[in-house]
Amino acid sequence: MHYSKNKIALVDCNSFYVSCERLFNPSIDKKPVVVLSSNDGCVISRSTEAKVLGIKMGEPYFKVKKIVKENNVKIFSTNFPLYGDISRRVMKTLRQFAPQMEIYSIDEAFLDLSSIKDQDLLEHGYEIRKTILKWTGIPTSIGIAKTKTLSKTANYIAKKEKSGVIDLVNSKQIDEILSRVKINDVWGVGHQLTKFYIKNGINTACDLKNMHNGWIKKNTSVFGSRTAMELKGISCISLEPNEGKRKSCCVSRSFGRKVVKLEDLNEAVTTHCLNAAEKIRLEEQTVKKITVFIRTSPFQVNQGYYSNSKSIELAIRTNDSIILVKKVLSILKSIYKKGYQYQKTGVIFSDLKDFDVYNKNLFSTINNEEKRIKLMKAIDCTNIKYGHNALSIAQAGLKKKFNIKKQHASKIDTACFNFLPTVRTT
Amino acid sequence: MKILLPFHLNKVGAGFPSPATDYVEDDIDLNAHLIKNIPSTFLIRVQGKSMNNVGIHDGDVLIVDKSLDPKKFSTVIVNINEELVVKTFIKEKNQSFLTSGSKEIKDKINLSDNPEILIWGVVTYVIHAL
Repeated sequence: MHYSKNKIALVDCNSFYVSCERLFNPSIDKKPVVVLSSNDGCVISRSTEAKVLGIKMGEPYFKVKKIVKENNVKIFSTNFPLYGDISRRVMKTLRQFAPQMEIYSIDEAFLDLSSIKDQDLLEHGYEIRKTILKWTGIPTSIGIAKTKTLSKTANYIAKKEKSGVIDLVNSKQIDEILSRVKINDVWGVGHQLTKFYIKNGINTACDLKNMHNGWIKKNTSVFGSRTAMELKGISCISLEPNEGKRKSCCVSRSFGRKVVKLEDLNEAVTTHCLNAAEKIRLEEQTVKKITVFIRTSPFQVNQGYYSNSKSIELAIRTNDSIILVKKVLSILKSIYKKGYQYQKTGVIFSDLKDFDVYNKNLFSTINNEEKRIKLMKAIDCTNIKYGHNALSIAQAGLKKKFNIKKQHASKIDTACFNFLPTVRTT
Repeated sequence: MKILLPFHLNKVGAGFPSPATDYVEDDIDLNAHLIKNIPSTFLIRVQGKSMNNVGIHDGDVLIVDKSLDPKKFSTVIVNINEELVVKTFIKEKNQSFLTSGSKEIKDKINLSDNPEILIWGVVTYVIHAL
């Protein structure tokens, strides 16, 4: 019997958004399907059949319209309420397979498999995969290895294998498998680092793994050498099962149409700010740093391109919508330029921390803090009960002129009684 | 200075305490009784009348557990001809069939003759408004 110390599995849902759309719509099984980002902007999820047609991830919709038409590719706008509910089901199911896990994104999670015997890892992987498919209908790929970076890499290969599970812990051909992964597909290796590595003859994950420690230390940053050590099987990035209270919160949207006037941008930014504020209040957090960004469409350069963002640090942490909206609007005013057709804007709250009741200051009573906390609570409860934005502040505008275009969205929400999926009797 | 004192709306009883107080329980939680496996259970609305005779009507909501395997006479959701439909699953003499709840033989679909038909989930309860 043999136990290696660290054993980590990365479970990744295959073409997650497409798989969610297929769950209640078998007519799109085995057919090319893509899901477009909000406003039907870019391709953000592709079925295997769509990948084969040459549709690339992140490509703007208008660029693939021809392929879509010629091959009868089914297109969907995002349906995040559905994806969110299915994601929660997948994560809940995964939880029974590992004492600790880290939800890494909506469709990925790291599992701590250290308690599983080495020789049982592959079988355990198959069992996870089978259960997720049966319980939630979502196909997954699983990479198992001694470090997070290796499990990511194993997962990359598992996606291309029919079995869907790759175990590097017991593998005697690690080098052979790593040489099939290009250096730019290694987790943590960005654009600049890729250029540098290729210049030095490092073209695959295997090349980086076999570089001399001395060379790595001398030539890369802390993060760069961390990745290299992890490929060598030395764990440097630990699992973070903190159930992730977020460290930052971003709300941004593309507009349904181009927006020119500052007052319209004010409305949009206020709405984003209120959404973000509600999110951090639900997790009982406060914000220190606020960022606002605006930009025009990068694809309509002839009308002039402008993109800008600005951050400020608050003197006193808060999650009070009214204070935050004031700040956000003053930032927007300072970066807004007349004469551009804006396509997207967003608000980012960062340096979030837990709300601390003792974190009072000299001005707490002057600002009527207690009353404001009660007011925020009342707003949040009303919105939870009567629907999003039932109670808002007037600055957010009454009718949303910039509402999102969602031409092809499936109208199913598995977590909402009024939008349940349907079946026919025959 | 004002001092706030608690004001009891309930009369303070001086007699024999209610014997029912030992049996105070929470409200009934339907989810806890009707849903055994939360991540694999979906609510799905019915469209159509052809399953009326097994008690499933147009507009009803089905509680469907994907993690279960069908038993003899289970009501199931199946994927037939690229569509999800409700059927009755019947197992007899090592053979499995799907019917629409009617007694007529011509409706029977033999599953071993149609290997492409997949069971999507098993219906555990029907919610029917009266």
